[in-house]
Amino acid sequence: MNDLMTVIRFTVANKMRSKSFKVTLVIFVLILTVMAHIPFFIQLFSSDETAKYGIFQREDNVTERLVQFVNGADHVSFELVVYPDPGTAEEQDRVIRQAIEKDEVKGFLQLSDAAEEGAFPAVTYKAENTMDFGGLSELQNVLTNIKTELVLEDLNLSEQHRQQLFAPIQFETVQISVGGGMEKSESQMFLAYGMVYLLMIMLFMAIMFTGQLIATEITTEKSSRIMEILVTSVAPIKQMFGKIIGMLIVGLSQILVLAAAAVANLLLPHNREAIDALNINFMDIDPLLLIYFIVFYLTGYFLYATLYAAVGSIVSRTEDLGQAVMPITFLALAAFYIGIFGLSQPTSPFIVAMSYVPFFSPLIMFLRIGMTQPHWWEIALSIAILLASIFAFGWLSAKIYRTGVLMYGKRPSFKELRKAMKAFKV
Amino acid sequence: MNPLILDKVTKQYGQHTAVNQISFEVTRGEIFGLLGANGAGKTTTMRMVLGLIYPDGGQIWWKGKPYSHDLNRVMGYLPEERGLYPKVKVSDQILYLAQLRGMDRAAAERSLRSWLERFEVPQYYDKKVEELSKGNQQKIQFIAAVIHNPEILVLDEAFSGLDPVNVELLKSAVKELRDAGAAIVFSTHRMEHVEELCQNICILHKSNTVLKGNLREIKKSFPKERVILQTERDIGGLESIAGVVSVTRREHDYEIRISEADAAQRILRHAMEQSAVQRFELLEPTMNEIFIKTVGGRAE
Repeated sequence: MNDLMTVIRFTVANKMRSKSFKVTLVIFVLILTVMAHIPFFIQLFSSDETAKYGIFQREDNVTERLVQFVNGADHVSFELVVYPDPGTAEEQDRVIRQAIEKDEVKGFLQLSDAAEEGAFPAVTYKAENTMDFGGLSELQNVLTNIKTELVLEDLNLSEQHRQQLFAPIQFETVQISVGGGMEKSESQMFLAYGMVYLLMIMLFMAIMFTGQLIATEITTEKSSRIMEILVTSVAPIKQMFGKIIGMLIVGLSQILVLAAAAVANLLLPHNREAIDALNINFMDIDPLLLIYFIVFYLTGYFLYATLYAAVGSIVSRTEDLGQAVMPITFLALAAFYIGIFGLSQPTSPFIVAMSYVPFFSPLIMFLRIGMTQPHWWEIALSIAILLASIFAFGWLSAKIYRTGVLMYGKRPSFKELRKAMKAFKV
Repeated sequence: MNPLILDKVTKQYGQHTAVNQISFEVTRGEIFGLLGANGAGKTTTMRMVLGLIYPDGGQIWWKGKPYSHDLNRVMGYLPEERGLYPKVKVSDQILYLAQLRGMDRAAAERSLRSWLERFEVPQYYDKKVEELSKGNQQKIQFIAAVIHNPEILVLDEAFSGLDPVNVELLKSAVKELRDAGAAIVFSTHRMEHVEELCQNICILHKSNTVLKGNLREIKKSFPKERVILQTERDIGGLESIAGVVSVTRREHDYEIRISEADAAQRILRHAMEQSAVQRFELLEPTMNEIFIKTVGGRAE
């Protein structure tokens, strides 16, 4: 136990004292701060002027109604500027180009007579930027509205019918549980979704970066031959788990710093409003879900970390490491993508099956807990399988570590590894 | 019971036998010389002694017992290649290794400071290993091996890369550890170090033990084949004496190689006939000659 603490302390102290660790952390905090302020900056730089579109004076009621509707309503975010009709198409074109060039308007609406008598005129939108989808869809909405109104006028509907027609549908989502668990409010679902996403990203990052780091460290120790001294000094299993736990502490402290930076950013008054607008109450987080979050983060980390340690100890040179860790990277990627799929289909049989497969279960089971209500025995079974496989892979990895670290030169074949493992009493 | 006993120890790598039936014992306060050409099996033997790799045959006894993890407290190892963290401070990694071997931090720190003082490099306490020269790294490596006062010490090429002054510094440290009662397994290619330090040796050649025993007795068992002759005047006709292999004329004397013991007396008589003899010496073979004879002669 004492040795384990010594290894953990050494690993943590070394990593945290290194310049690269501090520099990366500062860079991450800076990036996070900038990202948190992006909405604020966008708001800051975007002008308060409402967008203006040009339209030609025409002798039909569509143009008139349109101008009345747009310039009279507060819920429309743009304005219409009416230009006198110069007559010919060439002249019209010239006026449009001029207006846009002088920055009087953002774009121009050209109405032309419809093919059929009494039908709504065809509309052409001319602008430099035709990819302004937000503005364009609003324009289309407004035009559709006008068209509906015009048709309705012909129908002579009563005021009551008109109101009924335009009244929005009452639509609400309620999550129900058939398993008898607690049902979740919308805010809770939103938070659960967020936490599943967070776990997916955090676990994936931990696996990719920390795992890679563990493998690299072991290979470096192996190639610098300090391994020979280490293996004769301390039991390999303590050495390996000391390293894994040490790295976990390093990773968690990194996350803590980032989380603190994120919270500090979100508490700034100008960012606060944005969160309030989302209508999320952080008090709605189920404390049990938080506990599961920690459980699955740790189990997922240990499962992958032992694998990386094993691979790191098979390879002798850091150059070969990238290729050797590829299968683990694919496993982690697969888990990530299954998770993405599961977010929209948390009850599908595939996701349910995957929530018992050790390499995927940390993400997928947590996803199921967050998004649906699995039975307690399902959760227990998944965690039991996970723990059993951590134990099995930890044991196997320690053996590979013990034997692999002392095999230099070419990568050992499975036969050689098995033979070497048999010989050592580890 | 001797601290370290190897009994017919064998190690195989696939079809290749790396070490074949090696047996030796190291007593307390002894430096045992493990010699051999490159690839003869020295390092494999040392790794088995350290418990790093497991022998395929034979037995190793440490202080009368088979291997256990507690042994790491009493064993020290200096690998042939540098085995240190290049980017970690000297004090950090030495104290770490000392703690892993069961020392408490304060004692390890005192010990480290006194060793650095002794090797005349106290300023390296706070330096990173990669900032040190090769020779100074070797000093740190040595400290890492001995800081916990091991009872069984394995030194693989301990003096490689050191200048003569530093070789003396480390040599005296090794002797001191020997006098304090450590059982030391020592490998080197420098035969003069073997002559100076070792009582018993074992020469490996292509995985087999080809010569083993007490250094004095080994030397006695080899014929004396070198004569140093110093006379007042030049001597002629030395080459024609029966049994003389070669004559080298040096600044003040002759070095004569002979193939049989009687030739020495014939040389002396021959010289006395021509001049007054100032010095006549029949030399024991050097370790270097013995090594080349044992290993080189079988190289084909």
